[in-house]
Parts: sequence; C-alpha cells; structure tokens
Amino acid sequence: MLTLFRNLFAPPRHMILLVIAAWIGLSLAEKRSERHGLSADQLNTLTFYGLLAFILGGRLSFVLQNLPSFMKSPAGIISINPDIFDPIGALAAAAIVALIHAQRQNISLWNSLDALTPFFAVLAVGLGCSQLAAGTAFGMETSLPWGIDLWNATRHPTQVYQMIASLLTLLLLWFKRHDPRPGILFLLFAALTAGSQLFIQAFRGDATFILNGMRQSQITAWLALFVVFILLEIQLKKTRRGTR
Amino acid sequence: MQQNQRIILYILVLIAGASWTLLNKETAANIPAGAGTAPQAGFKAPDFTLDALDGKTYTLSELKGRPVLVNLWATWCPPCRAEMPAIEKMYQEYQDLGFLVLGVNMTYQDSSSAVAPFVSEYGLSFPILLEETGETASAYQLRSLPSSYFIDRSGTVSEVVIGGPMSEALLRTNIEKILQ
Repeated sequence: MLTLFRNLFAPPRHMILLVIAAWIGLSLAEKRSERHGLSADQLNTLTFYGLLAFILGGRLSFVLQNLPSFMKSPAGIISINPDIFDPIGALAAAAIVALIHAQRQNISLWNSLDALTPFFAVLAVGLGCSQLAAGTAFGMETSLPWGIDLWNATRHPTQVYQMIASLLTLLLLWFKRHDPRPGILFLLFAALTAGSQLFIQAFRGDATFILNGMRQSQITAWLALFVVFILLEIQLKKTRRGTR
Repeated sequence: MQQNQRIILYILVLIAGASWTLLNKETAANIPAGAGTAPQAGFKAPDFTLDALDGKTYTLSELKGRPVLVNLWATWCPPCRAEMPAIEKMYQEYQDLGFLVLGVNMTYQDSSSAVAPFVSEYGLSFPILLEETGETASAYQLRSLPSSYFIDRSGTVSEVVIGGPMSEALLRTNIEKILQ
C-alpha cells in the first residue's frame, strides 16, 4: 500500500499532493471567509498574490543564495526544474506580499489569517502526504510495530504523525464553535501546530542538533509556541478592552 | 477560561515542551553522523560496481576522495537527453578539480545498442556505465528518470535531484557544494 502510494507520487509527482491540498484548503476557506469579514473574491485575490509571491520568491531567494552559479548561466533562472527553490524565502515573500496587499485593500491582518486558517491546515496535511511520497522528513529507526520501511531501515512514520496531527488540528478548528474575536482561530491553529511539531520532531531522523545535542526544530517550535501564547493574550486583552 | 487559568495552562504546556525537548536530547555519541547507506541526502551513497562502455570497471567506493555525480538515465527519456549537454559542459569545466560524472545507463530497461550512438551524438566524454541487472537501480530505489546524486569526497550523498532537465546553474550550484 505504502509502496504503491510512494511509486504513484514519486518525486517530482509528490508536488501534485500539495496542489490538491492547496485547492481543497482554499475551497474550505472560501466557505467560511464571510464569517471573518472577507468576501470569497477578496480571499482568492489575497491567496493568488500570496501564491505568486511564494513561487517567485522561492526561486529568487535560491538564485540570490547561489548568485555566482546563476551569473555564469543566467538562463537557469527560468529553468523548469523545481529544485531551484528555497522554501524559507518563498514563505517570507508570500507573507510580505500578502501583508502589503491586505494593507492596500484595507483588510485586517488578523481577519485575513483567520479566513486562511483552513487553507493552512489542509496544506499541512498535504505537506505530510507529499513528504511521505518523497521520503523526506523521515523518522529515526524504530522497532515499533507501526514503523515503515524507508531508506533501508524500519523508521518512525513521522510523515504520518504529521498528517494525523494536522488532520486533528483541522477537524478541531473546523468543528469548533465560531469565535468572533479576530486572530484567535489562527493563533489556536499556530499553537496546535507548534505544539504538535514540538512533539513529532523528537522522532525525526534528519534532525539538526545544536546546543550539545538538542534538536533545532524542537527549540524553534518551543519558541514559536511561546510567541503564540503571548500573541493570544494580547489579542484576548484587546478584544476584552473593545467590548468594555 | 479566566486569564489566570490560561496563563497557568501556558506555563504548564511550555514546561512540558521544554522537558520533552530535554528528554530527547541526544548525547554526542548518539548523534548520527552519516550513519547508514541510502540514496538520500545525508546518507552514505549505495556502492556499486559496473562495467563501462569503454571496457573499464568502476566501483563507487573506490572513488572516495573525489566529488562524484551519479546520473541515472536512459536513451528513451527526454529530460535525460535534455540535460546531457549541461552535464558534459560541467564535467569539462570541473574535471580538473577532481570532479567525476558517472552516467549510469539503465541498460536493463533500455536498448544496449542505442547507448553508443547516443554517447557519440552528444559527445559525452565522462564514463558511461551499463546497468544490466537492475541491482544498482534497486539500491538507488529508482522511481523516476533521470535521477542525479551529488556525492561529496567522503562518499556521502549531498543533494538528490529527481527528474529533470537540470540546468547548468543548478548543476554548478550542487557541484560547488560537493567540491568543498
């Protein structure tokens, strides 16, 4: 079953799973966007600019980081190979462009993030599926009965853990009673995601170790969780003041 | 939930998270350093011994100390054809620095008679290895052609590019990494 799935979506076809997730996520987000003060059109335009910036920003960031190579062969900048891509640069570009667009259209940042939360949540499920297909983000070796055979060893199915955690987050937020306070839905999503990553990253087999053996990804997730809790309190305080 | 209750919850969650992180801290002796063999970045490259078109025999493990690009290809595969001129150009540019390309033809699913004309058509000067049994393809868990593995001087896979065609710039970027 797993072999069939991995053969069917072997790289570079694993990206189809991300495209499907983005499409489902956007459809779900559209359904509830009015609740957060955004029309479906506004949400689609915001997502369009964000995705465009994600694709172009990811390519540009990779090119800038390897500028000497691209100076010698500039045609490579427009090459169709998806490996010329930096995900961190892509995320930064998407966030900046979406922020600028939202400001120009007088759309509240928190309302936009709330409206986009189902999109982010489904995308996180899709990311786990695509990582499973590609064999990336793999787990440590294990003798547990649910281990999967990957890269010549039986490993923790960390990609499946990621899919399950993201799916539970999505279901929890989708069926949760609507909270009209701006930012709360997104911050809950961020807290649940950071919390689950803090847990799951402990089983990853491709971790980067810092500070005498601690996993960099766990420290990042812990710091993210800390920041999200502060933001949650700020938002809750703001809305309490607003209602007085 | 009251603010005080929430703050207590935040603190408990953060303490639990920090404890979990510390609990899973690896001692220096346990930190995996390129352990295992697999066709994936960070692992030792699977070894193989194959005959080349020029009559020589190449064993990957014997090339330790040299940066190597292992390119799995077939004559019928359009992206493989498209990236060959760029691979040849990079081989010419970097071979003086010890860089080697092993073009492994998937002969077991290709026509062996088509390989030599293909090599002369593209003027390929790097070794063309003939994979006639499928063992190397299996060791590299081949699922798409072309598949390229950039292997550093220690024999560790640095980058994997599945699919193509690779541009000169992408090749150069990955070759520069394994030359270091």
